[in-house]
Amino acid sequence: MTAPVAPARARKLPKQADPAAPLLVVEGLKTYFSLESGVVHAVDGVSFRLDHGEALGIAGESGCGKTTTALSLIRLLPSNGRIEAGSIRLYGIDLVPKSAEALRRYRWREISIVFQGAMNALNPVHRLRDQIAEPIVERLGLDLREARKRASDLLELVGIPRKRGNAYPHELSGGMRQRAMIAMALACDPAIVIGDEPTTALDVMVQAQILELLERLRAQLGLSLILITHDLSVIAETCDRVLIMYAGMVAEEGPVREVFARPRHPYTQKLLAAFPNIQADRRTLDVIPGSPPDLRHPPPGCRFAPRCPFAMPVCTEVVPPEVTFADGVRVACHLYPEGSAGTPITVPPEPIGAGRS
Amino acid sequence: MTDLLRLENLSVHFPIRGGLLDAILRRGRGVIRAVDGIDLSIRRGEVLALVGESGSGKTTTGRVVVKLTRQTGGRVLFDGEDVTGLWGVRALRTYRRRVQIIFQDPYETLNPKQTIRDFVAEPIDVNGIAASPADREQRVTRALESAGLRPAADFAGRYPHELSGGQRQRVVIAGALVMDPELVVADEPVSMLDVSIRTELLRLMLDLREERGLTYLFITHDLSLAWVLADRIAVMYLGKIMEIGPAEQVIRDPHNPYTKALVSVAPTTTPPSPGARPKRTILAGETPDAAHIPAGCRFNPRCPLVFDRCLVEEPPLFDVGGGQSAACWLVEGGRSLPMLPVTVGVPPAVIEDQEGQTSSLTTTSPGSNTLKSAHPIAAPTNGAVR
Repeated sequence: MTAPVAPARARKLPKQADPAAPLLVVEGLKTYFSLESGVVHAVDGVSFRLDHGEALGIAGESGCGKTTTALSLIRLLPSNGRIEAGSIRLYGIDLVPKSAEALRRYRWREISIVFQGAMNALNPVHRLRDQIAEPIVERLGLDLREARKRASDLLELVGIPRKRGNAYPHELSGGMRQRAMIAMALACDPAIVIGDEPTTALDVMVQAQILELLERLRAQLGLSLILITHDLSVIAETCDRVLIMYAGMVAEEGPVREVFARPRHPYTQKLLAAFPNIQADRRTLDVIPGSPPDLRHPPPGCRFAPRCPFAMPVCTEVVPPEVTFADGVRVACHLYPEGSAGTPITVPPEPIGAGRS
Repeated sequence: MTDLLRLENLSVHFPIRGGLLDAILRRGRGVIRAVDGIDLSIRRGEVLALVGESGSGKTTTGRVVVKLTRQTGGRVLFDGEDVTGLWGVRALRTYRRRVQIIFQDPYETLNPKQTIRDFVAEPIDVNGIAASPADREQRVTRALESAGLRPAADFAGRYPHELSGGQRQRVVIAGALVMDPELVVADEPVSMLDVSIRTELLRLMLDLREERGLTYLFITHDLSLAWVLADRIAVMYLGKIMEIGPAEQVIRDPHNPYTKALVSVAPTTTPPSPGARPKRTILAGETPDAAHIPAGCRFNPRCPLVFDRCLVEEPPLFDVGGGQSAACWLVEGGRSLPMLPVTVGVPPAVIEDQEGQTSSLTTTSPGSNTLKSAHPIAAPTNGAVR
């Protein structure tokens, strides 16, 4: 059926790589944007880890820093954004101190990205095959003929017939364009593919097709995925782990099944209860009152405290530490201090998500 | 309950405009059948969700209802009165007081140079219904406050850029409410918004229905939103209604293969249990373009249950009981739909051919005839759905 495309990681790791190191470890990442009106603390101390073959979903509402986190990994930040602190270790190599030029070697080759608007990300005046061949020539040093052949193989891999490689982006439907974007992200056989809202603008059925494709590619190529989305259902269906961000910080992180079945952080609980789920009971959805804080002047203490139904006095004063529990779930909430074994120290005043608040 | 709105055999066909050469050669370029003969009625006080993917004709239907697009066939009845031929600013003045629309994108609906007050007051000014400036202000205040912008005085003098996305959509809702409409057509009103804000607005819409007895035509691509909000759901595909009925019934017991597949892929936050594959039916390809509607049942090229009759004859909506009807030959005479094949692992290898039309990439399996081999069900091992 599909021609075999270069097997997963058949090539060498970067020179300084530590073969024993985990694939990707991000620690204490802080990315700020400077505006005339002040400094926006868009990502403010985010840590996570991604292992080989794993899929991590990063979720949260607009402005929570999920996209900034992803763009920081490959330093595709807008010019007023910069990484202030933290480390991004890929095979143990810290990417943060690398120069812009040195980092180019890691983009596409080690970490690639699929953006939301495939129409904007593809070049309208180049044929699909040539666009996909470009990074192959540039980064893998193949000659144009071989690169084009690989591009065709990749198109076939994502479900586009080879002959359609001659098409220009406008000749394709939205779903096809998104497939082409995925083919391009796979061009240099990267270890990590980041999907930034890869299915958001697509119809439900096409979205299902794309998610199924990502799942297949993961199994077939041994890819590691980072999926950035506001849509929790996408994460529920495709990811192993989920990281819920709120106002630039990690609220909760852990295995998808644990977090979705037993959300601990009040924000996670609210977010899940606000999501219409036709497999659950039909009920009025939960509302999260208020709006996220201004990240130029984040509130002291827990950033969710002003909207949290369980806020205690300590919440507005002290930033809750991240505590990891035995089941692998990490929560930053004063309800779950060290030693609480994952049960809240106070009983919630009302059951969350039970009808109208 | 009486029908507030009735659409009878409504169709909207857009001619495809050709180039100069086509005009000289007098050759037609065909038509896009955006809405292709639908019957629909909404009772007073009801929320009817019109669900469909892009290209299904749901938005065009909504635009016909608010008279922004002219129908090419059929009738529109509002409150028992035939308004099909009602056109022109003056003739529509009264109608537009009673029927309002909320669009998807508040950024595009609002004029950046207009204050919130002036935006909301515009319908009042156009219709000249304010008795005095004080009356105008009072109406604006009332509309803003019922849309949840309290106190209204804090918002009235502001410009759209000073508001958040959720607040902007509330302003748009206030603009629709100021005329005290009876029917509100809401075209993807929350699609641009974050989950938490989305819920607030949905709740607002439901509260307004309670308070003011509003009737909604809620247009959405999201079946789960429709399910939360609507009393009845109508599923559209390529300009036709494929299934219609009470929301709970349509979701729990769909009688049309398209609806059934949509339900199976609807977003859910319940992660699949270990080992068990989710029972999803992922359809091959994408909605074909409305200039090339397939003969017979328009869904037949993508239908996993297609059989001979579907290729030649278009099914009408069959009553399947409980106020639900579905357009599928398989449910004729009250039969229930067979199980759909479940997609396992491999995504449908289905793609566009050179003409840009979607079709399934299936190979002829031994023993199948040519007609059948074009369809997934005849070649299950190579088909789109497994």
